[in-house]
Amino acid sequence: MVENYDDSAMAKDAEFIDRIATPLRAPERVHPTFEHRLMEKVSAEGAALYPARESSIHGWLRNERIFRVNPLGALAVAAGIAAIIGVSGIAIGLRISARTSVAASGVAVQSASTAVPDTVQIVRFVFVDSGAKRVELVGDFNEWAKGSIVLRRSGAPGVWSASVPLSPGRHEYAFIINGSRWVADPLALKSSDDFGTESSVIRVGTSSKSAT
Amino acid sequence: MIAAVLAGDVEAFSGLIRRYEDTCVRFAVRMLGSRVDADDALQSAFMRAFRSLRNCRDRDRFGGWLYQIVVNECRTYATRQRRRELRFTPATNVIERAVAPGSEPEEDGDVGGHIETALATLPAEQREAFLLKHVEELSYDEMAALTGLSVPALKMRVKRACDALRDLLEGVYNG
Repeated sequence: MVENYDDSAMAKDAEFIDRIATPLRAPERVHPTFEHRLMEKVSAEGAALYPARESSIHGWLRNERIFRVNPLGALAVAAGIAAIIGVSGIAIGLRISARTSVAASGVAVQSASTAVPDTVQIVRFVFVDSGAKRVELVGDFNEWAKGSIVLRRSGAPGVWSASVPLSPGRHEYAFIINGSRWVADPLALKSSDDFGTESSVIRVGTSSKSAT
Repeated sequence: MIAAVLAGDVEAFSGLIRRYEDTCVRFAVRMLGSRVDADDALQSAFMRAFRSLRNCRDRDRFGGWLYQIVVNECRTYATRQRRRELRFTPATNVIERAVAPGSEPEEDGDVGGHIETALATLPAEQREAFLLKHVEELSYDEMAALTGLSVPALKMRVKRACDALRDLLEGVYNG
């Protein structure tokens, strides 16, 4: 009788199950070459499966072309390019302002940003865990690569932080504690997929409050 | 990232996989009882996912979609593994040796070894149900969505797996 196998019947077995399941929940690793081997296969098949889409201008630029310019014309072109670079330099200098946002865990999350859609912002991620020995930050901005952003202890015991330049838009992220435990930011907006993997969400430069 | 892969930036696939790799690796290793077999099954599953990435219609559910492929691949792999074992290994001897009554886990410090050996003796469908419920800690509804089975059927599999594990491990844990 299937009805007999309900949650209450299972409850009395909880202690036994926990003794079995706990060691099985420990993290596992595959061979260090795993990703390299996978990506070799992906690259080999990728070009045929998902050919790169070229914009018309990109395609135009990739084609070999021959330009013939007389010396006077070349001087004029060079002067024009120098002028464009000069103006762009000023514009970029204005855009990369030293704005700092903060995404934090265990403490209040704050953001000082105002919306400027195309401005790269320095976001400070803070994680609080007195028991942690190592804290890493992974997210779509670093392709979820472990080890690429390691938080540093910052002053108070158990407080870890890292500052990361983020482009405007929505970013998902999570912290990895001691190399294996993935933790979403408890105070940030959550994004959860259909098998319970939680990430946190930060929005950069899209509203008056960039982190929630 | 899915859009980037579909647009030809196939290197972005590594970022997609990394987010879910830990969960997939743990499930595959527990399900197949071997890192080598898990490596094979995961390579195959991830390539399957890469080839059919266009079919992942709901991009917010990529994790569940990928996990479903991994679970299916491990199930297929476990079935092949079982056939191989039946051909070459007298499995009952291995079980009896591993979980013989009176062999205290503290003596050899290999509780995990006993558990993994006992787990390996379960039929693949019971092992899968036990792992999804008690190791990956999914709800029955999540398991049903993942496996396509009904909740009562899954509860029955989990119950049978627990009963079998208790029988196999009671010598280790003294009941």
